[in-house]
Amino acid sequence: MEATFLLTLLITFLASFIGYELISKIPQTLHTPLMSGSNAISGITLIAAILIYPEVGDAQLLKIILLIAIAFATLNIVGGFSVTGRILEMFKKND
Amino acid sequence: MIEIILLVSSILFIFALKLFGRPSTAHRANTFAMLAMALAVFSAFNFDFSKYDSAFYITIVVSGLLGVLISKRVQMTQMPELVGLFNGFGGGASGAIAYVELSGSSLPISDVFVAIFSMGIGMFTFSGSLVAVMKLRGKLNNFNKKLADIFSVFFPTILVIPAVLEMDDLLMEFIILVAIISGVLRVAVIGGADMPVVIAFLNSLSGIAAMSAGFIVNSIILIVAGALVGASGIILTLLMCAAMNRTLRDVLKGGFGTTTINNEYEKDPISTSPEDVAIQLSYAESVVIVPGYGMAVAQAQAAVKELTNTLKDKNIEVKFAIHPVAGRMPGHMNVLLAEVDIDYEDMYTLEDINSEFSSTDVVIVVGANDVVNPLARTDEDSPIYGMPILDVDLAKQVIVIKRSMSPGYAGIANPLFINDNAKMLFADAKEGLENIIKSFQLV
Repeated sequence: MEATFLLTLLITFLASFIGYELISKIPQTLHTPLMSGSNAISGITLIAAILIYPEVGDAQLLKIILLIAIAFATLNIVGGFSVTGRILEMFKKND
Repeated sequence: MIEIILLVSSILFIFALKLFGRPSTAHRANTFAMLAMALAVFSAFNFDFSKYDSAFYITIVVSGLLGVLISKRVQMTQMPELVGLFNGFGGGASGAIAYVELSGSSLPISDVFVAIFSMGIGMFTFSGSLVAVMKLRGKLNNFNKKLADIFSVFFPTILVIPAVLEMDDLLMEFIILVAIISGVLRVAVIGGADMPVVIAFLNSLSGIAAMSAGFIVNSIILIVAGALVGASGIILTLLMCAAMNRTLRDVLKGGFGTTTINNEYEKDPISTSPEDVAIQLSYAESVVIVPGYGMAVAQAQAAVKELTNTLKDKNIEVKFAIHPVAGRMPGHMNVLLAEVDIDYEDMYTLEDINSEFSSTDVVIVVGANDVVNPLARTDEDSPIYGMPILDVDLAKQVIVIKRSMSPGYAGIANPLFINDNAKMLFADAKEGLENIIKSFQLV
């Protein structure tokens, strides 16, 4: 996806703004799952690793570093969502 | 096609945040976010899965399984450590990716700066989070603050070293090293009870690192998601700081509560017994329980639930008053109580419950200290002056379950303990509660 730098900045700003508005409304009770959930989302950096992985070619060291990054990000995503689900399940059954 | 997938993914992420606003819909929010993530990751392959070797796929599968395994086994009391650990992984991943981008391809100059920023923030988050985890596990308690202070003073000098030495080859490695050391020293000096702020702050940084990585690889979805995480972390950080009436700068400076202030008591507290507490409670109509980190340490959640049931069976109203910084991460107490099936409708925030204390018959403080210290309202010289507290001293009667008169994190005496309406039940939180429940059967 190509975009000019300014447009990208605009999107960044809008996303931060929407995020700020929506997250401000989340009650204290859900702050822990919010943290673990947003934590999982920060693992989205995996995308960057996927995008550049084919480009490193034969550079072994860089490849190993990327694989570590991929492992970290995947752990972050899968573990984060899984534990958030576990927490939210506890709030659901009180409903 | 890819663009449409990414659009759907972005919308799902935002919807997920919207659904997160209420406990009853929050579990669906997680499903939405997971779906959004799956779509975003899928789109990155651009329908070409053959470009990736087996090492790539094995890494993804193994670390994914490991993630599931860890998340299933972790105890709810260990959530702060787990979030800290995953945070570190996320930051470390972004930092490592930025390093690869800087070393591998020739980036345009604007991207070089973004990449260096992402690398620095990512590595800082990585090392800072790991230190936070160690602190939460009770290691690294006696860290010497001087080391961090010296480092801060020389920080600008350290930054010009590469320029002076005309370092070209190892510049990246130098930045990584400085970022890692900064992360370690910065977090190491911050005390345990300030961890809610630290964890939220590092969470925000991991989002910012991801967002910057998005700028380097030109991925809008990465920028959007990173910005959402960054915003969420900042909000929580500021909420936590406000709940302590301290600035982020002050928290990050560390060393809070290490200076010993006068913590003598003018008189002895009134000590009580489980039997007396049971009698006192059986005459009450309304009870408010104030849980603190001590409850988590003593693993007293189940006992709290049992006492709640006992009281409710006697038609006594039971509410929970939860201070925003109770525990070691935002919302920590709520999760621990939810785990033992306490209805979230019964959990009240500081703003919601403070006006009710004056009409409450009995308040039971379980393992909380500074957040119920009336000095925050009255003593201008106190380090906690101005901090919003739960006004439990205004209740008709207060029972504090605590092992000793030792001060809390702020290192100051708590006059609540010697208040005329307060009684101390000197016991471990779990044991004390269980003894009260036993006494109830005799009343």
